Amino acid sequence: MFQSIKLQQGIHLHIRPTDQFKTVNFAFKFKQALTNRSASERSVLANVLLHSNELYPSNPAFRSHLDELYGTIMYLDSSKKGSDHYITLLAESVNDHYLSTDGVLDQVLNLLQTVLFQPNFEQGKFKESIVKREKDSVTQRIESLYDDKTRYAQHRLIELMRPNHPASIGVNGTISDVSAITKESLFEAYDKMLKEDDLNIYVVGDVDVKEMTSKIKQAFPFISRDIKQKVPHQNIQHPTVEENYVNEFQDMKQGKLHIGYETPVTFSHPDFPKMQIANGIFGGYPHAKLFLNVREKESMAYYVSSSFSSAYGLVFVLAGIDASKQEKAVRLIDEQLDLMKKGEISQNEIDQTVAMLKNQIKEALDSARGQIEIFDQYKDLDEKFSVENLVRNWSSITKDDIQDMARSINKQIVYLLSGKEEQ
Amino acid sequence: MNELHFKQLDEKLFHEKMNNGLEVYILPKKGFSKTFVTFTTKYGAIDSTFVPPGESEEVTVPDGIAHFLEHKMFEKKDGDVFQTFSGFGASSNAFTSFTRTAYLFSATDHLYENTETLLNFVQEPYFTQATVEKEKGIIGQEITMYDDQPDWRLYFGTIENLYKDHPVKIDIAGTIESIDEITAEHLYTCYETFYHPSNMLLFVVGAVNPDEMMTYIRENQNKKEFAEPQPIKRSFPHEPIEVAIKENKLYMDVQKPKVYVGLKAKETSLQGETMMKQEMAIQLALELIFGRSSDFYVEAYEQGWIDESYAFDFTLEKGFGFAIIGSDTSKPKELIEGVKKELKKVEEKWPFGQVDLDRVRKKKIGYFLRALNSVEFIANQFTRYTFNEMNLFDAVPVLEQMTVADLQQAFTSIQGEEQQTVFSVLPKKDQEIS
Repeated sequence: MFQSIKLQQGIHLHIRPTDQFKTVNFAFKFKQALTNRSASERSVLANVLLHSNELYPSNPAFRSHLDELYGTIMYLDSSKKGSDHYITLLAESVNDHYLSTDGVLDQVLNLLQTVLFQPNFEQGKFKESIVKREKDSVTQRIESLYDDKTRYAQHRLIELMRPNHPASIGVNGTISDVSAITKESLFEAYDKMLKEDDLNIYVVGDVDVKEMTSKIKQAFPFISRDIKQKVPHQNIQHPTVEENYVNEFQDMKQGKLHIGYETPVTFSHPDFPKMQIANGIFGGYPHAKLFLNVREKESMAYYVSSSFSSAYGLVFVLAGIDASKQEKAVRLIDEQLDLMKKGEISQNEIDQTVAMLKNQIKEALDSARGQIEIFDQYKDLDEKFSVENLVRNWSSITKDDIQDMARSINKQIVYLLSGKEEQ
Repeated sequence: MNELHFKQLDEKLFHEKMNNGLEVYILPKKGFSKTFVTFTTKYGAIDSTFVPPGESEEVTVPDGIAHFLEHKMFEKKDGDVFQTFSGFGASSNAFTSFTRTAYLFSATDHLYENTETLLNFVQEPYFTQATVEKEKGIIGQEITMYDDQPDWRLYFGTIENLYKDHPVKIDIAGTIESIDEITAEHLYTCYETFYHPSNMLLFVVGAVNPDEMMTYIRENQNKKEFAEPQPIKRSFPHEPIEVAIKENKLYMDVQKPKVYVGLKAKETSLQGETMMKQEMAIQLALELIFGRSSDFYVEAYEQGWIDESYAFDFTLEKGFGFAIIGSDTSKPKELIEGVKKELKKVEEKWPFGQVDLDRVRKKKIGYFLRALNSVEFIANQFTRYTFNEMNLFDAVPVLEQMTVADLQQAFTSIQGEEQQTVFSVLPKKDQEIS
C-alpha cells in the first residue's frame, strides 16, 4: 500500500501514489500520551494553530488564501486511540492536473509548513486574545456533549465503568484543564509536540514518491527524537465497577439504554479477529441477533446495536427505547448474548458477518482518509498488513471460537438516561 | 446506450432509458473496489395529495407515509431484505427526503446479485396489516429519537415558521398520531402511484463494467410487467411569499441557546439550467456574505455570537426554497440582530465585485472536484439534479460563466423583510427563571 521511509528517529513518511482520487491528501499525525491535561492543551493548540499564522495573521486572511487554492481543506484535529492522544494536521487539495493553473500543490506544502513552524506569535509567544478565544471555543465544544443525548449517555457509561482511565478521558480534555491554560503553557505544549511527539506523515494521491520525499524532507526539517517502545494499546488496570444499574434523568422523551461489557480481548490480542466476528453476530449489523430480535421481532427500538472498542477491551450495546420497557429490553439483550454463549450460532450468521467485515474494510480503502487511518492503525501490529491476510484470518474462524468469545464478554453495567417523569 | 464524456473532469457517463421508462445511469470509477447503487423514486414527504392511477378524485394520505413505505419495502413474505444483502456482503440502506425516496447498497463483491436484490425488492411490494402495525413501534421510536435532538427540532421549527400551507413544513417521519392512521391499503395506493419505473432512476457508480451492467439491468427489467406509464397528478396548496410565523421558540434540556434565521425564497418555479444557476448564485452570495472570510464572520466570531456549530445553507426544490443561517450561541439576540443587519446592508448596497466572486468560485470548484471522489455524493446529487432536469456535470461550466450581476439578481429571491423568520431552541433552565 504505502511506501514507508524513515526520515529521522521517530519520524516516518508514508506515501501512496495512486490516480484513484482527484485530490492529494496530506496527514501529519503527532502522537503523545493521553491525559486530561494533554488532551486539553493540545485541543486548544490545534485551534490556535488553525486560527492564523505569521504569513496570514488574521483568520479571514488565512481562510481567503485557502479559498484561492481552490478551496483547499486544511484543519487540525484532536483524537485519541488507546492511551495516546493525536493531533492530526490534514490537508486535501485538488490535483493540479484538473486545474487550469499549476503550482497549487507546492503552495499547499508551503502553507502546511507555515502552519506548523510559523505560528502567529507576538514576542515569541502565542497572542493572548487568540488563546482566550480558542479556549472558549474548546470549552463550548466540551459543553455541547450534554445536548447530544446519545453521545452524552455513552460518555457517562464509560465514566462509570472506567473512571480515571484513558477510556473515559475526553478527546478535548476537561473544562477546568482548559481554563488553566496560559499562553506560556501552550507554547510549551507546542514546543513539545514539534520536538518530542511520535510523528507519522502520510501522502496519498497522484504524486511521484521520490520528488515528494525530497520536498517533504526540505520543507519539514524535524529533529530526531527517542520514542519509548511500548506494547500497542496495552490494557491498563482499572478499579472494579461499584454499581451495576445506573439511571440518570434529563428532560427528554426517549430512553437511552447503554450497556457496558468487558473482555480481555483487545486490538493486539491474538483473538482480535474472532471478537470482531462475535460482535458482528451479536449486534454489529442488520443481520445481527440484536437487530432481528429486539428491533424487528419485538418492535422495541429503532436503533439497537453493539460495538467493540478494541483499544480498551470493551463492548457496548446502545438502544433507543421507551424507558418504561427497560426491564424487557435488558432481558431481550441478555438473551441474545446468552444464546451465543450456549453456542447458538449458525454458519449463515458467520458467513454473513465475514462478508460484511470484508466489504467494510475494502470500502474504507476507497477513500484516501480511510487508507491512512487503516494503515496507521495496523502498521505497528502487522508490517505485512493486507486485506487478504485479514480475510484469511476471519475465514478460518469457527462456531466454537465465537462461543469462546461470547463467554469472555462480561456484563458490567446497565445505564439508562431517560425523562424526568419516570423518576 | 449513450455515452457522455466530461473531458475536463476525466469522467465518462453511460445512459439508457429502459422500455418501461426507467432511467439508468452508470459511471465507472477507476481504482475503486466498491460499487454504489441507488434506486430512487421521485416521491417524498411533500407528495401527500395526488390522484391515484385510474382514478379521478384527489386523495390526501397521512403525514409520514412516504417514509413509512420506505421502511416497509424491506420486509417481504419470507423475511427481511437486509439478510439477503448481508449474505452478499453488501451494506444496504434507504432514506426519504422532501422530494425523493432512495434505496441503495454498496458492495465490493457480488455486484449482479446485489443489483438484482435491489431491483427486485423495490419492484415487489408486500404489505399486510399485521406487518404495518408492527412497524408503528419501530417508527414511533425513530420519531421519539428525533424529538430529543435539539438540532433537528431547530431545523424543522424554522421550516414550520417559514411555510404556511406547503407540506414541506411537515416532519418527514410524520407524528406518532399520523402514522397510527396508516394502513396497508394506503401503502399500496402510494406505491402504485409513485413507484412506476417511469418515475424512477437507477444510478450505478464505482467498480463496474458499463456494458455488462446495462445488459444485466435491461434483462431484469424486460422480464417484468408494468402498467402503462401515466403522468402523475400531484397537488400543492398556494403558498404566500411572506413567512407564516415571524418568530418562535422551544425550550429543551440544552446547555446553550440555538438560533436559526430562516429566509424564504420567492423564486421556486425554475427547472433545468436556470435552476442550477439560481441555486449556485445564491450559494455563492451566501458564502460572500456569511462565509468564513466575510466581515460578518469576523465580527460574529470576535464578539462571541457564534461557535464551531455555526452554519449556513440554501436549499432549492420545485415549489419551495429557503436559506438558514445560525449557530449555538450564548448571545442569541446579538446574533439575530447581526444577521439581519448584514442582510439589510447587502440589500441597500451590493458590496461585492469580481475579485470576491473569483475567490468563492474557486472554492466552489475545488469543493465540487473533491466531492467527485465520493461515489455517495455523485449518486445522490446526480439523482437530485436529474429529477430537476439538470446535469451534475454541468456544475463547473455553470460556475465558470457566473457573473457578479447573477449573484446580485439571484439573491433578491431571499431578500425581503417579510421573508425572514427566527427560530430558537432555548435552555429549559432559562424558562424556569423567566
